[in-house]
Amino acid sequence: MKELEKTKRISIGAVLFILVVIIALLTYEKPKHYYKVNTEDTLSKLLTKDYFVALNEVNNPDFVLIDIRNSYDYDNGHIENAINIHTPELLSDNSTNIFKEIKNNNDFAVLYGNNPTEANSAFMLLYQLGYDNVKILLVKNNYSQNKLATESATIGASIADINAFIKESQKNANVTPSPEKKIKKKVITVKKKKKKVAEGGC
Amino acid sequence: MSKSYKLKKVIVKTEYKFLAIILVLLAAGLVLLPKYEKHEGINPEILLGNAVSSERYISTDELAEKIINQDPSFLLIDVRDEESYAKYSIPNSINIPLAKLLEEDSESYLNQDEFDVVLYSNDNFYANQAWLLCNRLEFKNIRVLNGGVNAWYSTIINPTKPTENQAVVDFDLYTFRKAASMYFGVSYLDQVTSPTKKKTPKKVVTVKKKKKKVAEGGC
Repeated sequence: MKELEKTKRISIGAVLFILVVIIALLTYEKPKHYYKVNTEDTLSKLLTKDYFVALNEVNNPDFVLIDIRNSYDYDNGHIENAINIHTPELLSDNSTNIFKEIKNNNDFAVLYGNNPTEANSAFMLLYQLGYDNVKILLVKNNYSQNKLATESATIGASIADINAFIKESQKNANVTPSPEKKIKKKVITVKKKKKKVAEGGC
Repeated sequence: MSKSYKLKKVIVKTEYKFLAIILVLLAAGLVLLPKYEKHEGINPEILLGNAVSSERYISTDELAEKIINQDPSFLLIDVRDEESYAKYSIPNSINIPLAKLLEEDSESYLNQDEFDVVLYSNDNFYANQAWLLCNRLEFKNIRVLNGGVNAWYSTIINPTKPTENQAVVDFDLYTFRKAASMYFGVSYLDQVTSPTKKKTPKKVVTVKKKKKKVAEGGC
Protein backbone atom coordinates (compact mmCIF):
# COMPACT_ATOMS: atom_id res chain seq x y z
CA MET A 1 0.00 0.00 0.00
CA LYS A 2 2.76 2.38 1.04
CA GLU A 3 4.54 1.81 -2.23
CA LEU A 4 1.45 2.73 -4.23
CA GLU A 5 1.12 5.95 -2.22
CA LYS A 6 4.71 6.88 -2.95
CA THR A 7 4.45 6.29 -6.65
CA LYS A 8 1.18 8.22 -6.72
CA ARG A 9 2.88 11.19 -5.08
CA ILE A 10 5.83 11.05 -7.41
CA SER A 11 3.58 10.89 -10.45
CA ILE A 12 1.49 13.80 -9.28
CA GLY A 13 4.62 15.81 -8.57
CA ALA A 14 6.02 15.01 -11.98
CA VAL A 15 2.82 15.93 -13.78
CA LEU A 16 2.61 19.23 -11.92
CA PHE A 17 6.21 20.00 -12.78
CA ILE A 18 5.65 19.33 -16.44
CA LEU A 19 2.52 21.47 -16.36
CA VAL A 20 4.47 24.36 -14.86
CA VAL A 21 7.15 24.04 -17.50
CA ILE A 22 4.59 23.96 -20.29
CA ILE A 23 2.82 27.04 -18.93
CA ALA A 24 6.16 28.83 -18.63
CA LEU A 25 7.05 27.98 -22.22
CA LEU A 26 3.71 29.16 -23.53
CA THR A 27 3.77 32.44 -21.67
CA TYR A 28 7.39 33.15 -22.55
CA GLU A 29 7.41 36.02 -24.96
CA LYS A 30 10.40 36.37 -27.15
CA PRO A 31 11.41 40.01 -26.55
CA LYS A 32 10.29 42.07 -29.51
CA HIS A 33 13.51 44.01 -29.70
CA TYR A 34 16.81 42.79 -28.43
CA TYR A 35 20.31 44.11 -28.75
CA LYS A 36 22.66 42.60 -31.25
CA VAL A 37 25.67 44.59 -30.05
CA ASN A 38 27.00 44.78 -26.51
CA THR A 39 28.06 48.05 -24.88
CA GLU A 40 31.79 47.59 -25.40
CA ASP A 41 31.42 47.08 -29.13
CA THR A 42 29.02 50.00 -29.30
CA LEU A 43 31.61 52.20 -27.62
CA SER A 44 34.23 51.07 -30.10
CA LYS A 45 31.93 52.06 -32.93
CA LEU A 46 31.32 55.47 -31.36
CA LEU A 47 35.04 56.10 -31.10
CA THR A 48 35.62 55.44 -34.79
CA LYS A 49 33.55 58.51 -35.63
CA ASP A 50 33.01 57.03 -39.08
CA TYR A 51 29.23 57.33 -38.96
CA PHE A 52 28.98 61.03 -39.74
CA VAL A 53 27.66 62.38 -43.02
CA ALA A 54 28.34 65.96 -44.07
CA LEU A 55 25.58 68.14 -45.46
CA ASN A 56 27.12 68.24 -48.92
CA GLU A 57 27.05 64.44 -49.14
CA VAL A 58 23.32 64.28 -48.66
CA ASN A 59 22.39 63.52 -52.26
CA ASN A 60 23.99 60.09 -52.33
CA PRO A 61 21.46 57.65 -53.85
CA ASP A 62 22.27 55.03 -51.21
CA PHE A 63 21.15 57.33 -48.42
CA VAL A 64 17.64 57.26 -47.04
CA LEU A 65 17.16 60.49 -45.11
CA ILE A 66 15.22 60.17 -41.91
CA ASP A 67 13.95 63.19 -40.00
CA ILE A 68 13.64 62.13 -36.36
CA ARG A 69 11.88 65.28 -35.19
CA ASN A 70 8.19 65.44 -34.40
CA SER A 71 5.67 65.65 -37.23
CA TYR A 72 4.93 69.32 -36.54
CA ASP A 73 8.52 70.33 -37.17
CA TYR A 74 8.70 67.98 -40.13
CA ASP A 75 5.63 69.50 -41.73
CA ASN A 76 7.02 73.00 -41.23
CA GLY A 77 10.00 72.13 -43.34
CA HIS A 78 12.33 69.24 -43.86
CA ILE A 79 15.23 68.28 -46.04
CA GLU A 80 14.13 67.17 -49.48
CA ASN A 81 13.25 63.48 -49.75
CA ALA A 82 13.46 62.89 -46.02
CA ILE A 83 10.89 60.66 -44.35
CA ASN A 84 9.67 61.33 -40.85
CA ILE A 85 10.12 58.92 -37.96
CA HIS A 86 9.80 60.69 -34.61
CA THR A 87 12.28 59.20 -32.14
CA PRO A 88 9.67 57.86 -29.68
CA GLU A 89 8.20 55.86 -32.58
CA LEU A 90 11.51 54.28 -33.41
CA LEU A 91 10.50 50.83 -32.20
CA SER A 92 7.01 50.72 -33.66
CA ASP A 93 6.16 47.98 -36.15
CA ASN A 94 5.93 50.52 -38.94
CA SER A 95 9.37 51.95 -38.23
CA THR A 96 10.89 48.51 -37.80
CA ASN A 97 9.63 47.54 -41.23
CA ILE A 98 11.12 50.67 -42.74
CA PHE A 99 14.51 50.03 -41.19
CA LYS A 100 14.49 46.40 -42.20
CA GLU A 101 13.70 47.40 -45.75
CA ILE A 102 16.53 49.93 -45.82
CA LYS A 103 18.88 47.26 -44.56
CA ASN A 104 17.68 44.76 -47.15
CA ASN A 105 18.27 47.26 -49.92
CA ASN A 106 21.83 47.75 -48.69
CA ASP A 107 21.12 51.43 -48.19
CA PHE A 108 22.11 53.68 -45.35
CA ALA A 109 19.66 55.25 -42.93
CA VAL A 110 20.91 58.80 -42.43
CA LEU A 111 19.30 60.40 -39.39
CA TYR A 112 19.00 64.08 -38.64
CA GLY A 113 17.24 66.30 -36.12
CA ASN A 114 17.47 69.94 -35.12
CA ASN A 115 21.04 69.24 -34.08
CA PRO A 116 23.30 66.15 -34.09
CA THR A 117 22.64 65.44 -30.41
CA GLU A 118 18.94 64.97 -31.16
CA ALA A 119 19.78 62.38 -33.77
CA ASN A 120 22.24 60.63 -31.49
CA SER A 121 19.67 58.82 -29.34
CA ALA A 122 17.97 57.31 -32.37
CA PHE A 123 21.34 56.50 -33.91
CA MET A 124 22.62 54.67 -30.86
CA LEU A 125 19.36 52.79 -30.31
CA LEU A 126 19.25 51.55 -33.87
CA TYR A 127 22.91 50.65 -33.94
CA GLN A 128 22.63 48.57 -30.79
CA LEU A 129 19.61 46.77 -32.20
CA GLY A 130 21.75 45.59 -35.07
CA TYR A 131 21.23 48.21 -37.77
CA ASP A 132 24.84 48.89 -38.58
CA ASN A 133 23.84 50.93 -41.62
CA VAL A 134 22.83 54.02 -39.64
CA LYS A 135 24.56 57.37 -39.85
CA ILE A 136 24.14 60.85 -38.45
CA LEU A 137 23.83 63.87 -40.72
CA LEU A 138 25.85 66.73 -39.27
CA VAL A 139 23.35 69.54 -39.56
CA LYS A 140 21.54 72.00 -37.41
CA ASN A 141 18.13 73.33 -38.33
CA ASN A 142 16.60 76.72 -37.76
CA TYR A 143 13.50 78.41 -38.96
CA SER A 144 13.82 81.86 -40.43
CA GLN A 145 10.99 83.55 -42.27
CA ASN A 146 8.95 80.37 -42.07
CA LYS A 147 11.52 78.48 -44.01
CA LEU A 148 13.80 75.74 -42.88
CA ALA A 149 17.43 76.76 -42.85
CA THR A 150 19.78 73.81 -42.69
CA GLU A 151 23.42 74.40 -41.96
CA SER A 152 26.43 72.22 -41.33
CA ALA A 153 27.12 71.47 -37.71
CA THR A 154 30.26 70.49 -35.88
CA ILE A 155 30.46 68.33 -32.81
CA GLY A 156 32.47 68.83 -29.69
CA ALA A 157 34.18 72.04 -30.76
CA SER A 158 35.09 74.39 -27.96
CA ILE A 159 33.78 77.92 -28.44
CA ALA A 160 36.26 79.67 -26.21
CA ASP A 161 39.56 79.22 -24.52
CA ILE A 162 38.27 79.71 -21.01
CA ASN A 163 41.64 79.79 -19.31
CA ALA A 164 42.83 82.52 -21.61
CA PHE A 165 39.61 84.41 -21.03
CA ILE A 166 40.01 84.29 -17.27
CA LYS A 167 43.65 85.38 -17.41
CA GLU A 168 42.75 88.17 -19.81
CA SER A 169 40.05 89.43 -17.49
CA GLN A 170 42.48 89.46 -14.60
CA LYS A 171 44.99 91.38 -16.67
CA ASN A 172 42.38 93.94 -17.68
CA ALA A 173 41.25 94.49 -14.13
CA ASN A 174 44.81 95.04 -13.08
CA VAL A 175 44.49 92.23 -10.69
CA THR A 176 47.63 90.33 -9.96
CA PRO A 177 46.69 86.90 -11.01
CA SER A 178 46.56 84.98 -7.79
CA PRO A 179 48.11 81.58 -7.84
CA GLU A 180 45.38 79.52 -9.33
CA LYS A 181 42.76 79.28 -6.70
CA LYS A 182 43.02 75.69 -5.79
CA ILE A 183 39.51 74.66 -5.12
CA LYS A 184 40.09 71.67 -2.97
CA LYS A 185 39.97 68.62 -5.16
CA LYS A 186 37.33 66.36 -3.83
CA VAL A 187 38.89 63.23 -2.54
CA ILE A 188 36.50 60.58 -3.50
CA THR A 189 36.92 57.26 -1.93
CA VAL A 190 34.70 55.20 -4.05
CA LYS A 191 34.14 51.85 -2.56
CA LYS A 192 35.25 49.33 -5.08
CA LYS A 193 32.46 46.87 -5.31
CA LYS A 194 34.03 43.63 -4.34
CA LYS A 195 33.33 41.08 -6.96
CA LYS A 196 31.11 38.70 -5.15
CA VAL A 197 32.63 35.29 -5.23
CA ALA A 198 30.00 32.66 -5.64
CA GLU A 199 29.16 31.72 -2.13
CA GLY A 200 28.42 28.12 -1.65
CA GLY A 201 25.99 27.02 0.94
CA CYS A 202 24.84 29.52 3.48
CA MET B 1 12.40 -5.41 -0.13
CA SER B 2 15.92 -4.04 -0.29
CA LYS B 3 16.53 -0.41 -1.25
CA SER B 4 18.53 -1.16 -4.37
CA TYR B 5 15.70 -3.29 -5.68
CA LYS B 6 13.23 -0.45 -5.14
CA LEU B 7 15.54 1.95 -6.90
CA LYS B 8 15.96 -0.29 -9.89
CA LYS B 9 12.23 -0.63 -10.07
CA VAL B 10 11.89 3.16 -10.12
CA ILE B 11 14.44 3.71 -12.84
CA VAL B 12 13.06 1.07 -15.08
CA LYS B 13 9.50 2.34 -14.94
CA THR B 14 8.79 3.88 -18.31
CA GLU B 15 7.12 6.95 -16.86
CA TYR B 16 10.38 7.95 -15.31
CA LYS B 17 12.27 7.31 -18.50
CA PHE B 18 9.83 9.62 -20.22
CA LEU B 19 10.34 12.26 -17.55
CA ALA B 20 14.09 12.01 -17.83
CA ILE B 21 13.94 12.50 -21.58
CA ILE B 22 11.80 15.60 -21.20
CA LEU B 23 14.22 17.08 -18.70
CA VAL B 24 17.17 16.43 -20.97
CA LEU B 25 15.33 18.12 -23.82
CA LEU B 26 14.66 21.15 -21.65
CA ALA B 27 18.31 21.34 -20.73
CA ALA B 28 19.19 21.21 -24.41
CA GLY B 29 16.75 24.06 -24.93
CA LEU B 30 18.60 26.17 -22.36
CA VAL B 31 21.74 25.77 -24.40
CA LEU B 32 20.03 27.75 -27.16
CA LEU B 33 19.69 30.81 -24.91
CA PRO B 34 23.27 32.15 -25.34
CA LYS B 35 21.96 33.82 -28.49
CA TYR B 36 20.63 36.47 -26.14
CA GLU B 37 24.04 37.04 -24.53
CA LYS B 38 24.44 40.37 -26.29
CA HIS B 39 21.19 41.44 -24.74
CA GLU B 40 22.89 42.97 -21.72
CA GLY B 41 21.21 45.98 -20.28
CA ILE B 42 17.71 47.31 -19.94
CA ASN B 43 14.93 46.65 -22.41
CA PRO B 44 15.39 48.73 -25.59
CA GLU B 45 11.91 50.19 -25.20
CA ILE B 46 12.81 51.48 -21.75
CA LEU B 47 16.14 52.81 -22.99
CA LEU B 48 14.34 54.68 -25.75
CA GLY B 49 11.91 56.15 -23.25
CA ASN B 50 14.77 57.36 -21.09
CA ALA B 51 16.62 58.75 -24.09
CA VAL B 52 13.75 60.94 -25.28
CA SER B 53 13.15 62.38 -21.83
CA SER B 54 15.10 65.46 -20.83
CA GLU B 55 15.23 64.47 -17.17
CA ARG B 56 18.91 63.83 -17.34
CA TYR B 57 19.89 67.42 -18.05
CA ILE B 58 21.16 69.77 -15.38
CA SER B 59 21.67 73.44 -16.21
CA THR B 60 24.93 75.31 -15.83
CA ASP B 61 23.29 77.55 -13.25
CA GLU B 62 22.31 74.57 -11.13
CA LEU B 63 25.79 73.15 -11.40
CA ALA B 64 27.46 76.44 -10.52
CA GLU B 65 25.28 76.68 -7.44
CA LYS B 66 26.19 73.16 -6.37
CA ILE B 67 29.88 73.85 -6.74
CA ILE B 68 29.72 77.16 -4.90
CA ASN B 69 27.70 75.65 -2.08
CA GLN B 70 30.20 72.81 -1.93
CA ASP B 71 27.43 70.31 -2.34
CA PRO B 72 29.09 67.01 -1.50
CA SER B 73 26.59 64.77 -3.21
CA PHE B 74 27.75 64.89 -6.79
CA LEU B 75 30.66 63.80 -8.97
CA LEU B 76 31.59 65.87 -11.98
CA ILE B 77 33.04 63.82 -14.82
CA ASP B 78 34.65 65.25 -17.95
CA VAL B 79 34.33 62.80 -20.85
CA ARG B 80 36.55 64.77 -23.20
CA ASP B 81 40.08 63.67 -23.98
CA GLU B 82 42.91 64.32 -21.54
CA GLU B 83 44.26 67.25 -23.51
CA SER B 84 41.01 69.18 -23.37
CA TYR B 85 40.67 68.38 -19.69
CA ALA B 86 44.14 69.67 -18.96
CA LYS B 87 43.53 72.86 -20.89
CA TYR B 88 40.45 73.74 -18.92
CA SER B 89 38.05 71.78 -16.78
CA ILE B 90 35.15 72.77 -14.62
CA PRO B 91 36.50 72.89 -11.06
CA ASN B 92 36.31 69.70 -9.05
CA SER B 93 35.81 67.47 -12.05
CA ILE B 94 37.66 64.28 -12.82
CA ASN B 95 38.50 63.07 -16.28
CA ILE B 96 37.15 59.84 -17.71
CA PRO B 97 37.63 60.11 -21.47
CA LEU B 98 34.85 58.50 -23.47
CA ALA B 99 37.27 55.82 -24.63
CA LYS B 100 37.76 54.69 -21.06
CA LEU B 101 34.10 54.81 -20.11
CA LEU B 102 33.65 51.08 -19.71
CA GLU B 103 36.93 50.24 -18.05
CA GLU B 104 36.85 48.66 -14.65
CA ASP B 105 38.38 51.67 -12.92
CA SER B 106 35.77 53.97 -14.40
CA GLU B 107 33.00 51.72 -13.25
CA SER B 108 33.72 52.43 -9.61
CA TYR B 109 32.94 56.09 -10.29
CA LEU B 110 29.99 55.55 -12.60
CA ASN B 111 28.25 52.50 -11.20
CA GLN B 112 27.59 53.56 -7.65
CA ASP B 113 24.62 54.96 -5.80
CA GLU B 114 26.46 57.18 -3.36
CA PHE B 115 26.94 60.24 -5.59
CA ASP B 116 25.05 61.78 -8.46
CA VAL B 117 27.22 61.75 -11.54
CA VAL B 118 27.20 64.73 -13.91
CA LEU B 119 28.81 64.06 -17.27
CA TYR B 120 29.97 66.88 -19.50
CA SER B 121 31.77 67.48 -22.77
CA ASN B 122 32.14 70.59 -24.91
CA ASP B 123 28.54 70.34 -26.02
CA ASN B 124 25.90 67.69 -25.39
CA PHE B 125 26.95 65.17 -27.96
CA TYR B 126 29.66 63.04 -26.37
CA ALA B 127 28.26 63.41 -22.89
CA ASN B 128 24.96 62.05 -24.23
CA GLN B 129 26.67 59.11 -25.86
CA ALA B 130 28.31 58.29 -22.55
CA TRP B 131 25.02 58.75 -20.76
CA LEU B 132 23.18 56.38 -23.07
CA LEU B 133 25.67 53.59 -22.53
CA CYS B 134 25.52 54.09 -18.78
CA ASN B 135 21.75 54.10 -18.93
CA ARG B 136 21.66 50.84 -20.86
CA LEU B 137 23.85 49.32 -18.14
CA GLU B 138 21.48 50.62 -15.49
CA PHE B 139 23.97 52.90 -13.77
CA LYS B 140 21.97 55.07 -11.44
CA ASN B 141 21.82 58.84 -11.12
CA ILE B 142 23.75 59.74 -14.27
CA ARG B 143 23.07 63.26 -15.52
CA VAL B 144 24.31 65.44 -18.33
CA LEU B 145 25.37 69.09 -18.11
CA ASN B 146 23.12 70.83 -20.59
CA GLY B 147 25.25 72.65 -23.12
CA GLY B 148 28.52 71.40 -21.70
CA VAL B 149 31.62 73.53 -21.38
CA ASN B 150 30.42 75.83 -24.13
CA ALA B 151 27.29 76.71 -22.16
CA TRP B 152 29.44 76.96 -19.01
CA TYR B 153 31.43 79.61 -20.78
CA SER B 154 28.52 81.59 -22.18
CA THR B 155 26.39 81.52 -19.04
CA ILE B 156 28.70 81.31 -16.06
CA ILE B 157 32.16 82.43 -17.07
CA ASN B 158 31.06 85.10 -19.51
CA PRO B 159 27.40 85.81 -18.89
CA THR B 160 25.59 88.26 -21.14
CA LYS B 161 24.21 91.33 -19.45
CA PRO B 162 20.46 91.60 -20.08
CA THR B 163 19.24 94.56 -22.10
CA GLU B 164 17.23 97.25 -20.34
CA ASN B 165 13.86 96.00 -21.50
CA GLN B 166 14.23 92.50 -20.11
CA ALA B 167 12.51 91.17 -17.01
CA VAL B 168 13.73 91.52 -13.46
CA VAL B 169 14.20 87.78 -13.37
CA ASP B 170 16.81 88.07 -16.08
CA PHE B 171 18.68 90.69 -14.09
CA ASP B 172 18.63 88.56 -10.99
CA LEU B 173 19.95 85.66 -13.00
CA TYR B 174 22.69 87.86 -14.39
CA THR B 175 23.67 88.97 -10.90
CA PHE B 176 23.95 85.37 -9.82
CA ARG B 177 25.96 84.47 -12.89
CA LYS B 178 28.31 87.41 -12.52
CA ALA B 179 28.99 86.48 -8.91
CA ALA B 180 29.54 82.90 -9.97
CA SER B 181 32.01 83.96 -12.63
CA MET B 182 33.98 85.83 -10.00
CA TYR B 183 34.02 82.73 -7.83
CA PHE B 184 35.46 80.83 -10.73
CA GLY B 185 38.27 83.28 -11.31
CA VAL B 186 36.97 85.98 -13.66
CA SER B 187 37.80 89.58 -12.71
CA TYR B 188 35.87 92.68 -13.60
CA LEU B 189 36.99 96.26 -13.97
CA ASP B 190 34.19 97.60 -11.82
CA GLN B 191 35.11 95.53 -8.83
CA VAL B 192 35.60 97.80 -5.83
CA THR B 193 37.43 95.25 -3.80
CA SER B 194 39.29 92.70 -5.77
CA PRO B 195 38.20 89.38 -4.40
CA THR B 196 41.51 87.78 -5.14
CA LYS B 197 43.30 90.01 -2.65
CA LYS B 198 40.75 89.29 0.01
CA LYS B 199 42.25 86.71 2.24
CA THR B 200 39.69 84.32 3.56
CA PRO B 201 39.38 85.75 7.04
CA LYS B 202 41.21 83.60 9.48
CA LYS B 203 38.72 82.08 11.71
CA VAL B 204 39.47 83.25 15.19
CA VAL B 205 38.65 80.37 17.37
CA THR B 206 38.66 80.86 21.07
CA VAL B 207 39.03 77.53 22.59
CA LYS B 208 37.78 77.34 26.09
CA LYS B 209 40.28 75.45 28.05
CA LYS B 210 38.44 72.44 29.20
CA LYS B 211 39.17 71.50 32.72
CA LYS B 212 40.69 68.14 32.53
CA LYS B 213 38.07 65.86 33.78
CA VAL B 214 39.50 63.25 35.95
CA ALA B 215 38.34 59.89 34.88
CA GLU B 216 35.13 59.44 36.67
CA GLY B 217 34.67 55.98 37.81
CA GLY B 218 31.34 54.36 37.97
CA CYS B 219 28.29 56.00 36.45
